Amino acid sequence: MTFLASWTRSNSITNGLIDWVARIPARVQTKLLIAFLTIVILLIILGAVGLQVLSGVNEQTQELIKLQRKIAAYRQVQHDTTKQLYNISTALVLTDDRMLDSALRQLSQFGYDLDRLEFVAKDEAELLGQVRLQYNQFVNVVTQVVEFVRSGRMAEAREIQLAQSVPLADRLERLTNQLVNIAEADMVAAIETTEQAHRTSRLMVAVFALGSILLALGLGYVISWSLIKPVKEIEARLAQIAAGEFKQRIQVANRDELGTLAADVNRTSEELGHLYQQLATASRHKSEFLANTSHELRTPLNAILGYTELIQDNIYGAVPDKIREILDRVQSNGRHLLGLINDVLDLSKIEAGQFNLAITNYSLKEVVQTVVTSTGSLAAEKKLALKASISEALPSGKGDERRITQALLNLVGNAIKFTEQGEVCIQAAAANGVFQVAVTDTGPGIQIEDQKRIFEEFQQVDTSSTRKKGGTGLGLSISRKIIELHGGRLWVESELGKGSTFRFTLPVAPDTREI
Amino acid sequence: MNKRILVVEDQEDNRRIVRDLLTSVGFDLIEATTGEEGVRQAEIHRPDLILMDIQMPVLDGYEATRQIKSKAELRHIPIIVVTSYALSGDEAKASAAGADAYVAKPFSPRDLLATIKRFIS
Repeated sequence: MTFLASWTRSNSITNGLIDWVARIPARVQTKLLIAFLTIVILLIILGAVGLQVLSGVNEQTQELIKLQRKIAAYRQVQHDTTKQLYNISTALVLTDDRMLDSALRQLSQFGYDLDRLEFVAKDEAELLGQVRLQYNQFVNVVTQVVEFVRSGRMAEAREIQLAQSVPLADRLERLTNQLVNIAEADMVAAIETTEQAHRTSRLMVAVFALGSILLALGLGYVISWSLIKPVKEIEARLAQIAAGEFKQRIQVANRDELGTLAADVNRTSEELGHLYQQLATASRHKSEFLANTSHELRTPLNAILGYTELIQDNIYGAVPDKIREILDRVQSNGRHLLGLINDVLDLSKIEAGQFNLAITNYSLKEVVQTVVTSTGSLAAEKKLALKASISEALPSGKGDERRITQALLNLVGNAIKFTEQGEVCIQAAAANGVFQVAVTDTGPGIQIEDQKRIFEEFQQVDTSSTRKKGGTGLGLSISRKIIELHGGRLWVESELGKGSTFRFTLPVAPDTREI
Repeated sequence: MNKRILVVEDQEDNRRIVRDLLTSVGFDLIEATTGEEGVRQAEIHRPDLILMDIQMPVLDGYEATRQIKSKAELRHIPIIVVTSYALSGDEAKASAAGADAYVAKPFSPRDLLATIKRFIS
């Protein structure tokens, strides 16, 4: 079918026809109905033609039957005439009374024959006239013969018989033969005509049937293509739109519902194009805002922290202890402020959907070691033991090293912050293509009711105690977001009074759904 | 002879911090306040290292870095880019522009010094 389709599609006449049908401003339903109706009408016409032909055949048959009856009538006349002769001859020979009566009866029978003949052969009036004439004479002669035989005048009877009955009978026979010949000739002609008619009607029916089939097929083809073509174009266009291409427009010849559909698809494409533009612009604005805000906020802090550090390093001269102590506080506050700003900026990015990961290869071992180094002094200050137990054969991971470090730093920092005595332990292992990390502390533990809450933004275990501890309450929710963006999970296992363990899993090579 | 470092930075305070830090350890400083000036100063003075801030108006740090690295006579100069870490991908952009190292703002002057020392003594 596709071969046929491609062969005919290259034909511009069919194309023109298809387009012409498509352009008809009628509903699709109407077009289909008209197509089916046309086919039904063709069938009806075909039936009518067939019936017509059949009735013609019937007429021919009737003609033939009539002719056959004619011939039968003529033969009957011949037969009876012969019988008459035979009877009279027998009567003459036998001079039997019974025979004579039978002969007379025959004559009246003969009358019926003639009547029938006249009924059947109405068109051979002249010949029939002659037959009747001869017959009347014959009747007279036979009656006379019978009379002579009855009255014993055998010689006269024989004479009349020979002189008149026989020749009359001959003449009758010749006339009826003529009639028969005519009838038979007619019959032959009639058969010939019937055969001819049969051939003609066969041809007519065949031609008509073929014509109807071709018309029906052609109509079906043209109409179906006039409907399919736009559907295909619409389908192709929609596939493009689904792939993000909004610029093109489709051209469709149809002026029916499919034409409307195509116009709608075009409008949709345009709308989507606009929306996409707006979205892209909005996204760009968000990115620019975040970049600017980040820069604006960090710049003065950079100055504050930078200068204090330089002072502490004695770049501007020796620093008395008392001032040094104060400077430490200035610095730690500055760092704290920096932490808050970073958290808030990260949160804005998450909210804006701009929190993207920079995927590189990293070593989990190095990440843990970085965190240990960073938090070592903090732990030491609170006299906590900081331990790390790292599995030996850790595979190389794929992810955003900076963010993963940030998350782990947050967890360890929290552990140290909330633990007053004992230790903080970091474990790192890998199994089944997944990193498994745990941060365990010997702190106060977290109640079941709070265990879910703490991962939510702005939530901390207890606002009074944490005002002492500091923090924005954003760290855990950001850490969780980081882990989840990598395809992992972060959760806590804890009991009040028995410390806490924060665990997370991280696929070694996540299929990146971000960026 | 003292090693010379070109500092391209539009913010006054940031420039001063770098100046105070680097001069105290014995480097000579050349300063530029815009990207274009930075490229020009690099051509004139051929410093031993360039510290390039990113967020600058008109010609930003990446573009300035690209321009310097595209000149045959300046390509050998190590460039340390200072980024605000607003968006991930800053590091990738820095290396794509040809930078030899990057430092995030706010930076600890000690850390900056350590990074500089990786390239020149």
